[in-house]
Amino acid sequence: MTTSRRNFLKQSSAYGAAAALAPGLFVNAAQAADEIEVGILFSLTGGLSIVEKSLADATLMAIEEINQSGGVMGKMIKPILEDGASDPKTYNEKASKLVIRDRVPSVFGSYTSASRKAVLPVFEKRNGLYFYPTYYEGFECSKNVVYTGAVPNQQLSNFIPWIINTLGKKKFFIVGSNYIYPREMSKVSKILIEQNGGEWVDDQYLELGHSEWGAMVNKIKESGCDVVLSNVVGDSVIAFYREFKNQGLTHDVLPICATVTSEIEIAAMGAEFAVGSYTSFPYFQAIDTERNKAFIERYRAFVNDPAAVTHHAMESSYFQVFLWKQAVEAAGGELTTDAIREGVKGQVFEAPNGTVTVDPENLHTYLTPRIAQWGEDGQGTIIDAYPEPVRPLPYVAYGETAENLFCASAGLDSSKL
Amino acid sequence: MQSGRFDSVGVDVVAYGAFILAILLLPLFLDDPFWLNRIAKYLVYGMLGVAIALSWGYAGILNLGQGLFFGMGAYMVAMSLKLQSSTSLQQGSDSPVPDFMLWNAQPGAPTELCCISPSSFLWLPFQAQWFGAVMALVVPVVIALALSSAIFRLRVSGVYVAIITLASVLLVRLLIVDAQPLTNGFNGLTDLGWLTVAGFEFDPYLTQTYYIVAVSLSLVLVLTRVLVGTRAGLILQSTRDDPNRARYLGFDVAAYQIFFFTVSAGIAGFAGMLYVIAAEFASPSFMDLAFSITMVVWAAVGGRSSLLGACIGAILINTIEATASESEMFQEAWRAIIGLIFILVVLFLPRGLAGVGQDLTARLIGMARRPSAAPDRQASRDAAE
Amino acid sequence: MADILFIGLSLSSILLLIALGLSITYGAMGVINMAHGELVMIGAYTAVLAGIYLNLNLFLSLPLAFATSAALGLLIERLVIRRLYGRIIDTLLATWGVAILLQQAIRLEFGLSFFDIHIQGLGTGLQNISVPAFLTQPFDFAGMTIQPYRSFIILVTLLLTLLTWFLFYRTRIGMQVRAIMRNPQIAAACGIDVRRVSALTFAYGSGLAGVAGVLLAGFKTVQPDMGTSVVVDGFLVVVVGGVGSLIGTIFASLLLGQINGIIAVLSNDILARAVVFGVVIVLIMWRPKGLFSFRGR
Repeated sequence: MTTSRRNFLKQSSAYGAAAALAPGLFVNAAQAADEIEVGILFSLTGGLSIVEKSLADATLMAIEEINQSGGVMGKMIKPILEDGASDPKTYNEKASKLVIRDRVPSVFGSYTSASRKAVLPVFEKRNGLYFYPTYYEGFECSKNVVYTGAVPNQQLSNFIPWIINTLGKKKFFIVGSNYIYPREMSKVSKILIEQNGGEWVDDQYLELGHSEWGAMVNKIKESGCDVVLSNVVGDSVIAFYREFKNQGLTHDVLPICATVTSEIEIAAMGAEFAVGSYTSFPYFQAIDTERNKAFIERYRAFVNDPAAVTHHAMESSYFQVFLWKQAVEAAGGELTTDAIREGVKGQVFEAPNGTVTVDPENLHTYLTPRIAQWGEDGQGTIIDAYPEPVRPLPYVAYGETAENLFCASAGLDSSKL
Repeated sequence: MQSGRFDSVGVDVVAYGAFILAILLLPLFLDDPFWLNRIAKYLVYGMLGVAIALSWGYAGILNLGQGLFFGMGAYMVAMSLKLQSSTSLQQGSDSPVPDFMLWNAQPGAPTELCCISPSSFLWLPFQAQWFGAVMALVVPVVIALALSSAIFRLRVSGVYVAIITLASVLLVRLLIVDAQPLTNGFNGLTDLGWLTVAGFEFDPYLTQTYYIVAVSLSLVLVLTRVLVGTRAGLILQSTRDDPNRARYLGFDVAAYQIFFFTVSAGIAGFAGMLYVIAAEFASPSFMDLAFSITMVVWAAVGGRSSLLGACIGAILINTIEATASESEMFQEAWRAIIGLIFILVVLFLPRGLAGVGQDLTARLIGMARRPSAAPDRQASRDAAE
Repeated sequence: MADILFIGLSLSSILLLIALGLSITYGAMGVINMAHGELVMIGAYTAVLAGIYLNLNLFLSLPLAFATSAALGLLIERLVIRRLYGRIIDTLLATWGVAILLQQAIRLEFGLSFFDIHIQGLGTGLQNISVPAFLTQPFDFAGMTIQPYRSFIILVTLLLTLLTWFLFYRTRIGMQVRAIMRNPQIAAACGIDVRRVSALTFAYGSGLAGVAGVLLAGFKTVQPDMGTSVVVDGFLVVVVGGVGSLIGTIFASLLLGQINGIIAVLSNDILARAVVFGVVIVLIMWRPKGLFSFRGR
């Protein structure tokens, strides 16, 4: 019998509303000996809560599962949930609360790069440890962050060759939201496109949150491309796919191959707009294993929504808590950043998407790239997958390879850049 | 309408003095680096409240784009601190390059600050920290001067000023996000170094850093309070109440409006600089429309026509937000509570908390002298316009 | 060339759709309703819920959304705005609070989520409405590709504009509204029930927002904060056009929509938005009272 998320929060709040409502000027009471406090930092309000709430839920669910099976070395995990409010300023403030005031040994959080960047100084200068579950652009080599989402080489190194060789499409139109992730994805894609004998006809950006796609889709139509590589993020995605169809483009002739379009966006746009398009991610709800099916079941029960979808960043939010647990155990229960960091290196876990391993050098995670084609039911059919997990290379755009790492446990070797 | 109506100078000296004393003495009673840092950030917001009250309450100019000046101040000083960050490339040499410039550069571009991207040379002077600090004041002031000269010389007034400032902040935000090779776009400037003066590093969680903010706010409060009491301040208030009459009396109305708009922008820029010192990052979200409107609401809650009131309003709202959002009970509802507070204050306390305070003191003073000296509440409702 | 103009026209029609309601509440009543975007959002959610629970299609959702948003507008007028007439900046601040409240109400499913009750169609997530297939299939006509959904929006906008014009210039209540616009005291002295007419006018403007919400839902996302971005554009259009001038609003939306469309096609969408903001700033400085203004009060 699983408790739902809200009840769980109520139960797990040892110091209830009264203490929390007090002006808060008191230093946190020493934590009970049989508990480990951890921070959770996602936007529960504001525009980004659309996605981030599911990440917070997945994290809470993992904590609950660990607690139900006896906790971490006999200690219960007590989550302190904070609201980043979709605003980097709030993120920064809450991160310093968790690290400096609550002194939690680890924090799980952030969806956007902007929010991660806003909290990074707190973790780096105060030596905290942040577990970041989202796919991102790479170019980061922090000793204080464990990255469990995909980096560009884990989304593109199979995708681009597959588009060119299997799908037979050679002329790319690259489109993305105007910030660093899509621009980096585009940079890596161009390298891969040229290596594989394709070409790109245009590379265009739109403001984040932009939802007027008339002009852009018109450009795509006129460009003579035969495939669209989309790095569009957030609610813009929905407007994009809808406009694409409204202007008479179809995915069987001119497919959209996306790096960010997940189950959430597909469900939101209505499956008929995405039928036949492709996405590359390490995790899809459609992964056909008992472990994944059980995971989806449990998640739906946990959030009390029989139609809830699971997606990549959410799955990472879930399994990274288990990696953390194993790291604490490996550290012999020593709750310091240095001990947990050492402990997490090389940890292996059987996640819903398969085996994940934390790279001991750059603290990113080995993941298995997969390509799915979206169907009528809003679910992907996995049509291509790497035989094994791929090593994360956050600096792949500058020539990083598995043999020649730029980011290693000693830090970033900037002479290689 | 408010201060000056009754014996307010004496009252103000007591009120401002008490507030300044309170924020200066606070570290003696609060041995919690996190809360000290958090309050420092809220004092910065308080300074924004002062800037809003100065232009809105005293000059009748509603600036819905104050975030533009706050953001400019923040970016200027953040550029300097970024160049001192340990993450910058070639740190230690005489020309460090911010890390983000490298991954925004065209392949094969030289890794020199002068020419890594087309306008990266603009960063060169920011290698000197004093330059960033000075620019944090100069740039907002120059932009404000140019913008307000155009607005007020053309005699644009009222809500149209608000719309122009609103469009301006959105325009600048768009450009900053787009100029990614120069500004790091949407992610903003992060991984900054600390402010260093004469070898002393101002770690944001040190009491010393708190004092930089607290002393700055005290100075801003005193200076602006003195400023509005001067002849220029009085003339300005007359331009708010009736610009045409002020014009007939021979005053150059636009000059006063430009001056106060610019001073207000300068304060906002200064606040932006202090915020970066306390929070260690600058982001285009400082120029979000919601933030600029929120500032105005802080001032409305505290009292739009009281500098101190607006300042306290900002601090109070942020403290309520923080406590509500960190409590189990209100974690997801806190925004709704804030919305409700906004509505109720505008409806029932048009002069904000300062109005309540003024009424109370007036009544106390009145009771001490004659029972019927309370000021006319109704008259000050016009403060709304 | 024709398709570029069509993109611009389509942008214009969406701007006008939002601005029409605003030009009434702001132009005629001097209320800066920052919650107008949230009324758009409520209209969109009405269509979502009507689709799920009543099985209504897009067309039947339109009147329902109009009614819902109008009723909500009436409530907002009663509780908040009525106390603030003549205090234009205060209307902005108070309705900003209303906007926050409405967003949270949807997000928290009217507070039911605290009791662990989940209503399908509400909550933090993204929602959508289904659009009839014949509105999404483009067809060729006279050598041009016609996009039916965008054409449909243009058509509805046109009809609503005509309806609004008719109400304001050809009916008794419209005359009363115009009288109140120019001088509420004299209007009251002439026996016009200013309170009632103002409330109805506000409700009508709000209802238009609801209709806009349904149409936007057809090609954008439905989410609790979908309204915040559209309301700003709407205000810019109304102010540029001239407060209280229907013709001005129409002209301004055509102008800004075409500028946006043409630059977006020839260059890019980011530059297009920047230019639109720039043009707005210059136009307001040049003619603060708007391109078309009448001399009132």
